[in-house]
Amino acid sequence: MRYPRLFRTGVFRLTLAYVALFAVSVGALAAFIYWATLGYIEQQTNAIVEAEINGLYEQYERTGLHGLRDVIAERVARDTERRSFYLLADAIGRPLAGNVPYWPRGIEDVRGQWVDFVQVDSETPVRAMLLPVGPGLRLLVGRDIRELTQIRRVLRSASFYGISLTLVLALIGGLLLAVSAERRVAALNRTTRQIIAGDLSKRAPITGSNDEHDELAQNVNAMLDQIENLLVGMRHVGDSVAHDLRGPITRLRNRLEVVAEADTPQREDLADCVAQLDQVLATFNALLRIARVESGAYRSAFTTVDLAQIVRDVCDLYQAAAEERQIVLRYELGSDVEVFGDRELLAQALTNLIDNAIKYTPAGGTVQVQLARSGDAARLRVADSGPGIPEADRARVLQRFTRLDQARSLPGNGLGLALVNAVTFQHHGRLTLGDNAPGLVVTVELPALRPPRVAAQRRLTAPDESSIGRR
Amino acid sequence: MRILIIEDDKDVASFIRNGLVQAGCNVDHAANGKDGLLLATTERYDALIVDRMLPGVDGLTVIRTLRASENSTPALILSALGEVDDRVKGLKAGGDDYLVKPFAFSELLARLEALARRTKSGSDAEPTVLRAADLEMDLLRREVRRGGQAIELQPREFQLLEFLLRHAGQVVTRTMLLEGVWDYHFDPQTNVIDVHISRLRSKIDKGFDRPLLHTVRGAGYRLDN
Repeated sequence: MRYPRLFRTGVFRLTLAYVALFAVSVGALAAFIYWATLGYIEQQTNAIVEAEINGLYEQYERTGLHGLRDVIAERVARDTERRSFYLLADAIGRPLAGNVPYWPRGIEDVRGQWVDFVQVDSETPVRAMLLPVGPGLRLLVGRDIRELTQIRRVLRSASFYGISLTLVLALIGGLLLAVSAERRVAALNRTTRQIIAGDLSKRAPITGSNDEHDELAQNVNAMLDQIENLLVGMRHVGDSVAHDLRGPITRLRNRLEVVAEADTPQREDLADCVAQLDQVLATFNALLRIARVESGAYRSAFTTVDLAQIVRDVCDLYQAAAEERQIVLRYELGSDVEVFGDRELLAQALTNLIDNAIKYTPAGGTVQVQLARSGDAARLRVADSGPGIPEADRARVLQRFTRLDQARSLPGNGLGLALVNAVTFQHHGRLTLGDNAPGLVVTVELPALRPPRVAAQRRLTAPDESSIGRR
Repeated sequence: MRILIIEDDKDVASFIRNGLVQAGCNVDHAANGKDGLLLATTERYDALIVDRMLPGVDGLTVIRTLRASENSTPALILSALGEVDDRVKGLKAGGDDYLVKPFAFSELLARLEALARRTKSGSDAEPTVLRAADLEMDLLRREVRRGGQAIELQPREFQLLEFLLRHAGQVVTRTMLLEGVWDYHFDPQTNVIDVHISRLRSKIDKGFDRPLLHTVRGAGYRLDN
């Protein structure tokens, strides 16, 4: 069973626990008030009854039966509110005095005990005490306890509604708390996911409330700054090495070239050395180019670029190489797509993709390049029928110098896809590697400039260059 | 060839000078923009090598000043930066070619020769027929013949051969070909251009005693005159 996100949050679970604890506390409080209040009222009632019965007994001892009857009659007469009840009865229950018409049923045997009964004629609940006052004489003195039962009822319903209301409020409060906490944590999670996806410039939002969430976000951000610094530092070291070694290696290469031109027996070896140094230089140049792309330096020179023309050019450039390796290189252009970017960089990115595709596709295979517009995006797909890249390695191959085992035997420096990735990123695009079953399909999605229909109209109405340059 | 190097870095300057002298050039060197401008306006050179960053007057200003005084000596700009719009800026200022440091000397030499040659033939009207040995290209009719025998070429092969013919007798590097034929300016994967060349070679050299299209190791290709 799948619960909504909210019910899985720690805060919500904690809230539920608190609601339960709250309910128990409120319940205990209500119970205490209930018992204490009722106990007090009951005690008061009992004390009055006890005092009366003791008084009447003393009267009997002093004045005998007649005296007792008189006193009872007097007290009944005095009790205009009819809150006290008296009954003096003989052995068989015949009333001799008092305001209770007959002996209540079921209370014959209790002596010196508290009994509750309902006074029949007025339907009044009565708390009473029974006392045998003499031979064959029983005295019952009681007091109206309507108030007690009413208070009991009120207390019971108050407890019930109180606890219910507490539960509902606690639940609502908990939900609100969980929602707000979930929202803050979700924001942090979103940031971390974007960072994992490769955008290290993202930072966790800070609300300015200075609470523990803000503190966490600040700490995470500080950590990210640190990571970014380290990463930049690492790249900087790599780029500086490449930059600083490029000069001496070029000089070495040039001197070797001069020596190789002389007619020495080592001519072949020297020429080979030159070729290998060219490889080293190519790697350095690729590394520095990626660094330059990532620095955003090319952005200032972005213009309108015809992506379809680049596809035609690069495919044309690679057609011969593909045929040489008995690979069919095809391209499909859905429509003319223009993007805002750098023509050279985009061409080189596509060059790298097609170069890879041809390199890893066995003879007899196919490399398919497609360019189409889908919505606001220009989608460039390069699909091959080679061995493909396992899903687990796809994120890794976009990093510098990643070469999978199967690629180690082939020439290359592990920078091709890293450049494509950097170029795509600088163009605000998205690079995805997928399965061509079999083979690899690389998709580059770039923001397209405008729909072709509009572009065509524009060209008809305003064919001059300035209108295009102005956008 | 008579070449003027305007470059403040002594190592680079002497490296270029040595190479050029070895290649049979006559070389002058100026270590700053002011001296360079003076030499360039008072002497005649086949080509200039101008560093972009110079103390005093910078490289682009040197070229701009020369062009303003109607001096059209071809200039090759050297840049250590390799910044994005450097090439565009350099060419706009009146430079004829552009090379990022560090560079292979063979690349520099090939480009210099191409530049120097361009001006020599530049004064004539645009030729309609290009020739090298017994190979002939009619630009108007878009026909290629060798020894009177017609050769069928794909449009791209035609462009490639045209570029080689325009630089016949000189070394043409792979980057020059990518620039001249495809109009892209990044480093081509070596083998891509090689395949195009070998296809062209099989069309123009196959069945003929004397091969015209040669591979120059570590540098590029050369179409014999």
